[in-house]
Amino acid sequence: MLDKLKQAFWKALTPDLIAETVAAPAPGLVSAQVLAALGGVDNLKSQQRVALTRVRVHLQDPNKLDAVALKAAGVAGVMVLAGGVVHLLTGLQTE
Amino acid sequence: MTPSKPLELLAPLSGVLLELGQVPDPVFASRMIGDGLCIDPTSQTLCAPLAGVISNIQDTGHAVSITDDNGVQVLLHIGLDTVNLAGKGFTRLVEEGQSVEAGQALIEFEADYVALNARSLLTLMLVVSGEPFTLLADDVVETGQPLLRLSPIEALDAVDEEEGDALFSKPLTLPNANGLHARPAAVFAQAAKGFNASIYLHKQTQSANAKSLVAIMALQTVQGDTLQVSAAGQDADAAITALVALLLQGCGEPVVAPAAVVAPLLSSTLLTGVCASPGSAFGQVVQVREPELNIIEEGTGEAAERAALERGLRAATEALQALQNQAAGSAQAEIFRAHQELLEDPTLLEQAHALLAAGKSAAFAWRSATQATVKLFQGLGNTLIAERAADLADVGQRVLKLILGIQDSAWDVPECAILVAEQLTPSQTASLDTRKVLGFVTVGGGATSHVAILARALGLPAICGVPVHVLALANGKQVLLDADKGELHLDPDLAEIEHLEAARQQQVVRHQRDLAQAALPATTRDGHHVEITANVASLQEVQQSLTLGGEGVGLLRSEFLYLDRNRAPSPDEQAGTYTAIAQALGAGRNLVVRTLDVGGDKPLAYVPMAAETNPFLGLRGIRLCLERPELLREQFRAILASAGFARLHIMLPMVSLLSELQLAREILEEEALALGLSELPKLGIMIEVPSAALMADVFAPHVDFFSIGTNDLTQYTLAMDRDHPRLASQADSFHPAVLRLIATTVTAAHAHGKWVGVCGALASEALAVPVLIGLGVDELSVSVPLIPTIKAAVRELALADCQVIAQQVLGLAEAAQVREALRVYHAATVEPSPVLEN
Repeated sequence: MLDKLKQAFWKALTPDLIAETVAAPAPGLVSAQVLAALGGVDNLKSQQRVALTRVRVHLQDPNKLDAVALKAAGVAGVMVLAGGVVHLLTGLQTE
Repeated sequence: MTPSKPLELLAPLSGVLLELGQVPDPVFASRMIGDGLCIDPTSQTLCAPLAGVISNIQDTGHAVSITDDNGVQVLLHIGLDTVNLAGKGFTRLVEEGQSVEAGQALIEFEADYVALNARSLLTLMLVVSGEPFTLLADDVVETGQPLLRLSPIEALDAVDEEEGDALFSKPLTLPNANGLHARPAAVFAQAAKGFNASIYLHKQTQSANAKSLVAIMALQTVQGDTLQVSAAGQDADAAITALVALLLQGCGEPVVAPAAVVAPLLSSTLLTGVCASPGSAFGQVVQVREPELNIIEEGTGEAAERAALERGLRAATEALQALQNQAAGSAQAEIFRAHQELLEDPTLLEQAHALLAAGKSAAFAWRSATQATVKLFQGLGNTLIAERAADLADVGQRVLKLILGIQDSAWDVPECAILVAEQLTPSQTASLDTRKVLGFVTVGGGATSHVAILARALGLPAICGVPVHVLALANGKQVLLDADKGELHLDPDLAEIEHLEAARQQQVVRHQRDLAQAALPATTRDGHHVEITANVASLQEVQQSLTLGGEGVGLLRSEFLYLDRNRAPSPDEQAGTYTAIAQALGAGRNLVVRTLDVGGDKPLAYVPMAAETNPFLGLRGIRLCLERPELLREQFRAILASAGFARLHIMLPMVSLLSELQLAREILEEEALALGLSELPKLGIMIEVPSAALMADVFAPHVDFFSIGTNDLTQYTLAMDRDHPRLASQADSFHPAVLRLIATTVTAAHAHGKWVGVCGALASEALAVPVLIGLGVDELSVSVPLIPTIKAAVRELALADCQVIAQQVLGLAEAAQVREALRVYHAATVEPSPVLEN
């Protein structure tokens, strides 16, 4: 809500006159270590940041996923869903 | 009466724990509804954390509450803003009123659907009844594992009201910094429950059952509120003594004894504030106050109250739409559009509905929901957002009046009014007969506050940040507002008034004349033409600029296309927008498109960036685009689609190295070649970084033009944040250091036959026009409403004079001296306006 409102005003005012103090944006999607634990880049059909705390990946072969290695790579939670979709709970990203 | 056994709440889901305060939702994070915790789920079935009765399950299936035999009430809320899904993705497995066992499945949800369609899956478990608890797990939990242990609390005695006259404590001042929010309120309620007396906490006309956490929180107390405790029954005396002591001690929160308020010594005839809009006026004080609304807490049935709230919201939306249509300018319309969006905000609505479900009235529920969020806005420590709190309060008030059926009495402002208010809201000013208003004085607010925007749009003087006792001035008192100096004279002398009155009259007539003559070219008296173009962010603004005499677009902020989005606009959409703008301008006019100017200070949702400790010195503007060249390439392609419809110029922001220009040019040339364009558009850079200004002679052979962004150039040159509360007034673009960099840039550009524009805020200041022209600037790109004023300012000048004054001010020591010199120059050389002779 806040962001929407802020943007509306950002547009309404002369943007040059306003310093935007906004929380830091999100870092890149997944680390190389996580990628390896997912079965390598070739096993990845798509990746997408969703729901503030998750990276949603679509795997060619979900059996190649290494849950232990994911945990070791710092992924706090893994949710394996139907059709090769996996949610990696990577923690809160600032909006 | 036996103490109940400690109750353990089981994890309703498997997942990763998150502290409630970190939840990116102000209402939950503030524990306004109750304390508890958050789980980021890895399972898809929500199970009961305790045995009890389903006291409420939302139709949409995203939230459920359970109440046990001892009155412990737990709310489970799946995801954030999931109310928007309207039930899709959720399957309810239980009904309201049904008894459930601990661990029983309550709701199934499709995690992937929710993740893709709602804001978040973060699930809240809140102990609404307010029992304190200890956490039994950390990090990762499995469904059904013990998660919280609630401290046993004494079962409440029979709720019979104690008989007898109520005793009242002396009034006391609440010391808690954040009022009685959940934690201190829980401590207080807990203590109150230790007495048999029926006890109430009073705040002005409101009162709350002191044994009810929710009721105390609903009082919405803030620091400094005057409270009273009343009690009736046998131990009433003891209860009052104990509870008053507890309140004064902060209810478990550390408190600081309130410092004695030292009345500042102030001149009795002069109040000072900050200039929010220049000008001056002599008029009478008109105090603006919102009437206190009389709101009854208890509702008359949920369905009726829900309907009342919906009617109020609908009526408010319609009213805001009407205000948008009548709005004086696009900024005004944007503000009311933002207000409309607030009315649709799911968090506010959900919170209001929760209170309705608890039997509260529509007005009470709405007020509580908005006030809580207002407080949060104010507490975020960001001036821009704090000022938006005023907007939320304004929308809140609008809906409340509609719910309560209070007609907004047509606001009868007397002639020559100088409005004085704590803070003026957009709604108040929209219904204002601005012909009768001469100026604004507010206690709150700053340069970006609504009153500042409005006053500037209307060309009326305004000052903000005036001491609070301005609110005590009598209505009708004659005062003199000199906004340029930030002063309100309470006892002005006649000569002063006449002087300023004449100046004001002159200003009004001049503005009308400028408007009437907007179509005339901006040519100095000695025949030197200066191109006056517009700073725009939309097609609408382009059209508006043309009717106001704009000669082209000197700065198209392309970011506007990208804001508000989760992914980049499609290439077709981008191309369509640029083409429409170019067509509106036509082949004879300049269109300068600035490429995406974002970075850590104004991030885009879909461009992931690492956090930066100092975003203003980080990956901004061209630096970010070269880091992600595909973004730039795509934008170039879209811009090039508009080639031929107008005189197309592409401008790169934040250039500080020659290599940045060269890399960008390579990409542009590749894209132009791929599109088969025979002629490249003009390519220029913004001069915003001192290095670019100092090296302008090196850049000049490689560009087609320069445009100076004075706002950033000023803050980088003076190393002052222009929003720093203490430095803002010195971060002035009139500083000779900034002017010297402009002079360097122009000299270098002209030596290579290139033109120089100024598109920063300095170009929109009439006072700066002579020095900019004198330094040789060829084009001024100004904010749309000021086009007629700046054009008129140019027509009053002679280039030869400007060159002399420009050289003189370059030798001065600081910005204030430059301003003073320009004022004197203006008074001395510009021919008096013909209206004075009338």
